[in-house]
Amino acid sequence: MSSNIERCYQCGQCTAACPMAEQEQAYKIRRFLQMEKLGLKSEEPMDIPFIFYCTTCYKCQDNCPQGVKIVDGLLSIREAAVRDGNILPAHRKIGQMLMDSGHAVPGNEEGKKRRLQLGLNEIPPTVASSEKQLNDIKILLNLSGFDQIVAEEKA
Amino acid sequence: MTELSLFLGCVAPNRYPGIEVAAKKVFSTLGVGLADLDGASCCPAPGVFRSLDKLTWLTLASRNITLSEKKSDDILTICNGCFSTLKDANDMLKEDPALKKDVNSKLAEIGHEFRGTQDVRHVVEYLYQEIGVDKVREAVTKPLNLRVAVHYGCHLIHPLKDSKLGLAGKPTFFDELVEATGAISVDYEDKMSCCGAGGGARTAILDATLKIANKKLEHMTEAGADCIVDACPFCHLQFDVGQAEINHKFAKNYNLPVLHYTQLLGLAMGFSPEELGIAMNIVDTSRFIEKVKMDTSENEVCTIV
Ligand code: SF4
Ligand code: SF4
Repeated sequence: MSSNIERCYQCGQCTAACPMAEQEQAYKIRRFLQMEKLGLKSEEPMDIPFIFYCTTCYKCQDNCPQGVKIVDGLLSIREAAVRDGNILPAHRKIGQMLMDSGHAVPGNEEGKKRRLQLGLNEIPPTVASSEKQLNDIKILLNLSGFDQIVAEEKA
Repeated sequence: MTELSLFLGCVAPNRYPGIEVAAKKVFSTLGVGLADLDGASCCPAPGVFRSLDKLTWLTLASRNITLSEKKSDDILTICNGCFSTLKDANDMLKEDPALKKDVNSKLAEIGHEFRGTQDVRHVVEYLYQEIGVDKVREAVTKPLNLRVAVHYGCHLIHPLKDSKLGLAGKPTFFDELVEATGAISVDYEDKMSCCGAGGGARTAILDATLKIANKKLEHMTEAGADCIVDACPFCHLQFDVGQAEINHKFAKNYNLPVLHYTQLLGLAMGFSPEELGIAMNIVDTSRFIEKVKMDTSENEVCTIV
């Protein structure tokens, strides 16, 4: 799916509506789109980690007079950065949790206690209850090379 | 009887299981069956995993959909993030035969096939469109005397934008459902804005996301809300755990209990706060629970007299 960012004419309405830009001056969605359009993405490592600050709230997109699919565009910018090895440690950790447990937020002791108190099974009826299903997830993740993406950087 | 697969996601079953219980109780009261979706995984989360690798995101999402295709009528999500991922993935694969073929060649390795026979639904949108506000109101036995700050959440509205239902333009559907419980949905500034947590931002840059949530909490408090009602366990976590973090980091003093819509409706249907896990939050809910218990017993006295 193309992100149609070539339609962007740099008016800045996106940044003006962005709640993250209000908090973090370095977060400039308009600029990231411009860099992408000019094909400058990988020469500007200073945009890492900022491109990962987006909450995907779509406020920018709702505000764009050109109908640019800004969030899709940003997600592809991120994907390209990740392919170049620029993944944030926090995101790598979540990826590893998905690899290990099939959940981005796996169960913990407090959660299990709450489940029991509510009369639920301690372990939810998800992949957490089935070795076979978890194995299926691992097969799919390995097939698409996700294990490599979230692997620790070699020293 | 309609039977839907209940897609749990990660945060509800593993952090706020009261939401899982509440969904089951509310739907069984309304005569809609919810089946556990055995073996379901993370949806996977629309912002973070889609930006790490789109094909992985799509493959795992489609596996979750195939689990439901094997058993129920449609998939019901109780989380905006799961709704966004599963609905987008489902629509993409239905519309793009080449992509579907690509994903199916991966799924074949584990003996699954995406057929595209189902719709992905969100609990709030489903209640509004399939059950209807009037029927929900009829199921209320203990009307709630509460002022509620409704938080729609970005990933409830956005996936509805492409559909022809007209729900997304100037949305009132969530407010109408809240008011069907007897509560008042209060107006507040920036009501349609973000909780701050999505897209992997909460883990990448916690303080900035808390500043975003702080603004909403400020406006909700100014509007005199008794509680926040959301439709997403991740927004729920941001407002609940985040509220304690904000109080601590920014020297604030918020005390706004956070409920998922299924929990609010559960209370209005007469289930107890204990059964619905209302107290299983970081924010102290004891005063809120006392108020609900007192108000509903007064209401009952009124109807008897
Ligand atoms: S609002 Fe749209 S056209 Fe304007 S700068 Fe942003 S993406 Fe480009
Ligand atoms: S989607 Fe991202 S870039 Fe757009 S307004 Fe929201 S936080 Fe800003």
